[in-house]
Amino acid sequence: MELTHYPMLDEDVFRTRLSNGLTVALVRRQGFSKRLAYFVTDYGSIHTDFEFEGKQWSAPAGVAHYLEHKMFDMPGGRDVSAEFAALGAMTNAFTSYDITAYYFSCTENFEDCLRLLLEFVSTPYFTKESVEKEQGIIDQEIGMNADAPDSRVFEDLMENLYENHPIRVPILGTSETIREITPEILERCHRAFYTPGNMMLCVVGDVEPDTVTAIAEEVLGTEPREVGKKQNTWAESLEVSVPNVERKMEVAMPMFNMAFKCTPTENGEAGIRREMVADLAAEALFGESSELYLHLYEEGLIDSSFGGGFETIDGCAMLMCSGDSDEPYAVRDAILAHAKKLVADGIPEEDFMRMKRSALGRRIRELDSFDSTCFRTCAYHLSDFDYFRFPGVYSQIQVSEIGDFLAETVKEAHCGISVIYPLNQEETV
Amino acid sequence: MIETIQLLPGITLRCVRDTRFKQGCLSVQLVRQMTAEEAAFNALLPAVLLRGTNRHPNLRAITHRLDELYGATVGTLVRRVGDYQTTGVYCGFMDDRFALEGDHVLSSMIGFLEEILMDSPLEDGGFLPSFVESEKKNLIATIESQLNDKRVYASGQLLKLMCANDTFGLPRLGEAEQVAVIDAKALHLHYEKILRESPVHIFYVGSADSSYVAQLLKPIFAKLDRSPISLPAQTGFHPCDGRDEVETMAVSQGKLCMGFTTSITNRDKEFPAMQLMNTILGAGMTSKLFMNVREKLSLCYSVGSGYYGTKGIVTVSAGIDFDKELKTREEILRQVAACKAGDISEMELNAAKEAVLSSLRATHDAPGSIEGYYATAALSGLGLSPEEYMAAVRAVTLEDVVAAANTLKLHTTYFLKGAA
Repeated sequence: MELTHYPMLDEDVFRTRLSNGLTVALVRRQGFSKRLAYFVTDYGSIHTDFEFEGKQWSAPAGVAHYLEHKMFDMPGGRDVSAEFAALGAMTNAFTSYDITAYYFSCTENFEDCLRLLLEFVSTPYFTKESVEKEQGIIDQEIGMNADAPDSRVFEDLMENLYENHPIRVPILGTSETIREITPEILERCHRAFYTPGNMMLCVVGDVEPDTVTAIAEEVLGTEPREVGKKQNTWAESLEVSVPNVERKMEVAMPMFNMAFKCTPTENGEAGIRREMVADLAAEALFGESSELYLHLYEEGLIDSSFGGGFETIDGCAMLMCSGDSDEPYAVRDAILAHAKKLVADGIPEEDFMRMKRSALGRRIRELDSFDSTCFRTCAYHLSDFDYFRFPGVYSQIQVSEIGDFLAETVKEAHCGISVIYPLNQEETV
Repeated sequence: MIETIQLLPGITLRCVRDTRFKQGCLSVQLVRQMTAEEAAFNALLPAVLLRGTNRHPNLRAITHRLDELYGATVGTLVRRVGDYQTTGVYCGFMDDRFALEGDHVLSSMIGFLEEILMDSPLEDGGFLPSFVESEKKNLIATIESQLNDKRVYASGQLLKLMCANDTFGLPRLGEAEQVAVIDAKALHLHYEKILRESPVHIFYVGSADSSYVAQLLKPIFAKLDRSPISLPAQTGFHPCDGRDEVETMAVSQGKLCMGFTTSITNRDKEFPAMQLMNTILGAGMTSKLFMNVREKLSLCYSVGSGYYGTKGIVTVSAGIDFDKELKTREEILRQVAACKAGDISEMELNAAKEAVLSSLRATHDAPGSIEGYYATAALSGLGLSPEEYMAAVRAVTLEDVVAAANTLKLHTTYFLKGAA
């Protein structure tokens, strides 16, 4: 593996691409007990439409998440979780809009754990009975989500903000779509996307680089295989046709999610730079150090639950904020007005330098977290960027880029808002 | 590994020097006896302190200062540890080696901490009413928003029912009605009182030498006019009659919570056995509850158990369909009975040991988990380092786990279900 040393971050990272197409990264942390490994496929809930083995496919919504659940089944009644537990390791997985990740953390038996991780994620085993049984469990998860206002307020917003992008459908799918999922569909999606050429293995901890690559080749083989070709762009206007959506639920006070649609980011350094510019712009506009935050907080329009930033997913991007407020629409209007003011007046160089220093310091501190480091190494790699180069990108960003971003993004026509009001609000007023 | 320094009477500094991290952390906790009268005061206090100082008079100025310190953070720290409640702040900051030449983050951070703790703007002998009023609103919103997470809400309701005679049933942040009546002057008087008399626990993790940290901190606390008191020792569960309650609400999924009592607390030598018993029963994806209630019978999406070692309470909670209540209850009791009967395989016991050992080994891998372990261990009466604790876990036998299981008694059941 090839070693890169990052003196500004005091980090050593080893990387290689195996002949089977798998990307492998090791963030070596000497002197730590914990070892963490992520095995990630560049395939998430939005990738339902794809071309594979000479045909065009359209899978039911929720299939990536369903597949994640079913990967834990192994032939011969083997119990993957129990095997990890016997090795003293914890294993779990998650599905997001654009990736699915399987991981374990351990303090001992790293080699056995890594072998087991690669083995179970690369072994499809779906029986009719077990696929049907899973519907009950996932239906419960959908039910739990339906009771979670945080999820509802976000999903309502996505459904209204986007007309074509599949982010408008929940990651879990719906009770109806998951009923369409069969063992054949799961097998095909697995074959198309759980192939080394579409995956990445990242390890953080005190581990020898050669150990990682040797085990990966031993379990996954050395031959590359066909990778499904995903649809990852969708026709989408920046204009929002349904600017607001409301619902009532059992919540204590009104809560909102708000987003400004942005053009999707590119891959590589330009994309990361735009993401960092957008985060700085979010800070300048409504972060805790902004004039607007102080004003809204002191007026009681927002509380400490308020926050936001830039979100980017395959084929879409948005500047978002969320929180609890008795007057969500007043918050939106204040944000629009303040963006205009910032664009007109400009951001003082001194404020800009301070924000950059803060953002840089926070990212450095976050590297102490194994989970965040492992996740970011993978997520940025899949966007064709070496995450550990972030200090260099920050140093190049100019203050004018912040103003340009705000001018292009924070517009009423691009804004959508979703609000959940308490159930009993009208009765008590 | 850990150094304990008696900084001043009643003021203890604990330091773990570790040069592997990119950040350091520092926590300051004033320790109080948990009471219904005081809980809301202690919960509100740090939020008001963080609103402004005489030199940095508003949130924006505070944030600017933290930005200059390379994105340092200062947050409120309100813990409940058994019979105690702590109030204070937690600071996280980048290690000096990444700072620009000549910048010293740790010493600047401690200087800023002094401002936050000791130099609040005052009016008529109280905190600024505008700060207090808006933080009251915030705290009330936080307390009320616990309703949004039905699992948290249901667990809180269960503990309230179980602890009718015990402060452990009080919500950690107090009740909304108690927050509502606090005024700026009373809050400041309360702060003066607790600064004067409470034990103060300070914890540092980072690359600096403990004597340097002590030298920075001592002058700050030496200015206080102290007459320290000591707190009564932690106590176990205070008995009351068990209950069986159902509450209805507009939810689509039910939450079933069952509370058990045990005579074993983390002050007892049987504690590691009880912790393993809880792990076997309901912690993680290989536990009896997960394997049976979820995987085998598909009765629920989520199920798990928790052991409150400071008090001697084990709770089980499950997210279920409303019509599965009785079946789930029976199955949970069946799994507890299996533990009592010794129906535990070698593999289950070893997996539980490995899970507990693994998390103890990793305690030293992050500043926050080091702080969390030692700062609560010192207060809860758990007198073991992670290494000593690991040795005790390894020595537990199957008989010990079964004996621990047999101390469990079902006390209270609570079910949150949808409105008809």
